[in-house]
Amino acid sequence: MTMRFGIPRQSPTMTFFVDGKAMTAFQGDTVAGALFAAGIRAWRRARSGEERGLLCGIGICFDCLVTVDGQSDQRACQTLVEPGMLVETNLISIPVNGTGKDSPPC
Amino acid sequence: MLKEWEVVVVGAGAAGLSAALAAAQSGAQVTVLDAYPAPGGQYYRQPPQYLQKHATRRQRQGRQLWQQAQQAGVTIINDCLVWYADGERQIIARTALDSYEVHAHALILASGAYERPVAFPGWTLPGVLMTSAAQTLLYQHILPGKRVLLAGTGPLQLVVAKKLLDAGAELAGVLEGNPVARRAVRHIPALWGQWERIAEGLASYLTMLWHQAPYRTGWGIVEAHGVSQVEGATIARLDDQWRPIPGSHQRVACDTICIGYGLIPFNSLSRQMGAEQSWNEALGGIVPVRDDNLQTSIAGVYAAGDGAGIGGVRMSMIEGRIAGFCAAAGLGHAPQTLALQQAKKQQKSEAVFQRLLMDLFTPGPGAYELASDETLICRCEGVTKRKLAQAVAHKASTMMELKSETRCGMGECQGRICEQGVLHYLEQVSRQPVDASSVYHLRPPVFPLPIDVLGRTPLV
Repeated sequence: MTMRFGIPRQSPTMTFFVDGKAMTAFQGDTVAGALFAAGIRAWRRARSGEERGLLCGIGICFDCLVTVDGQSDQRACQTLVEPGMLVETNLISIPVNGTGKDSPPC
Repeated sequence: MLKEWEVVVVGAGAAGLSAALAAAQSGAQVTVLDAYPAPGGQYYRQPPQYLQKHATRRQRQGRQLWQQAQQAGVTIINDCLVWYADGERQIIARTALDSYEVHAHALILASGAYERPVAFPGWTLPGVLMTSAAQTLLYQHILPGKRVLLAGTGPLQLVVAKKLLDAGAELAGVLEGNPVARRAVRHIPALWGQWERIAEGLASYLTMLWHQAPYRTGWGIVEAHGVSQVEGATIARLDDQWRPIPGSHQRVACDTICIGYGLIPFNSLSRQMGAEQSWNEALGGIVPVRDDNLQTSIAGVYAAGDGAGIGGVRMSMIEGRIAGFCAAAGLGHAPQTLALQQAKKQQKSEAVFQRLLMDLFTPGPGAYELASDETLICRCEGVTKRKLAQAVAHKASTMMELKSETRCGMGECQGRICEQGVLHYLEQVSRQPVDASSVYHLRPPVFPLPIDVLGRTPLV
């Protein structure tokens, strides 16, 4: 937790899970915040194949998408961590050089 | 069921809250729909609950603003995304639990702004963040990185640099692309009297000096380096057009890059509704055309604050008041003639400062020429500059043709991140300015939705 600063000592923490691994968050952390605090900065493989994480941080760019409690495509920067929350990344499930997509929407 | 609501405000930032308060004070029933967990927008963003007693003066001011609105009878609904709006003032919004289908008698769009995306080689590497993201992390008392390079332009960069230093981060550089000091000279008359703002700027600058932070004006980032994350950057001295000066390139080591090239309006709703737009570089790009009362080309639809043209927090509050008074008066409530006159007077004097900021802090054309053939312009769909070039070679000559040819702008962000990049690319190859009518056509939803939500919606 070395990326945190100026946190009062008695601050409430909780446990949540990222790809099955237990992680600690403070109340009020977004998923993106908790991941950054743990030193994780890439958690999504984009259609073009490379890893992505946080870009805008304010819910505009949709680059930080994760699956939260089974709901896909949730913005990590806008989702507040809750105790026991299950966060899944797509870092393994999408082929590295594939398009990750077989039919265009619309 | 379509609900009939009197005044609906989209966005609970400085502009939206001011608009809601003004409309409520005029006697209107006002509901504010806001996308974030708490009111305040970006400027008045609140700390997490458990850090509430460490709130800054600004955060307390924001809290006062919405409490004042609530006391005046305004209802604020948070975590609420407005994803559909049409020319009949019908809107659809959703929270995690509810869906609101509303016919608004008057609609005030105050949806704020986001950072102008600028593509350069390496900008998709994890660790390259917009300054807004660095700020949201800092609000959570989390450092975005240990050794940070800031690049771009604007006062926000200095503010974030100061926060990073205060939080214990090391700065690899603070690069302001514009030759600010040289250019500020001609603005001395407009700066005269803006002591509070000058003091704020000086305080940030002195912190830079105190920490011996490498603050440079007329410098910019050229490329981000790293294998799977940011490991460094190439920076260079820029000429007046923001083109890197040959031979001035330097390599710096850093683990994080904060880019901030100024703000552009979040204009998706007014565009989707079909309100007339114009291109105004100084106001951040595509902005709705408005009359003196801040009404758009659609009757009863107003636009205020940064979402209608970048003007900063004071301008947002002034515009919010104007839009709020006028929206209520338009529905037959008592016109607040004196207060409205006063607000319009303030708007005029604030506009001088707005022009100054834009003159000092708008990136030059060179910023949009950094992308290499392999650089992604559309991050969502993975469209490189080379793919755009191939489409142009196949006779695509408009934004919409490039979109259907390459899928740029069709991803999750709905084109918000790549639009200006694609537009500037088209300008470069066609050597003529692109007009506002030829940009991406926006259709609902403004935000991606689960398919079952669309299926349950009768309006669409």
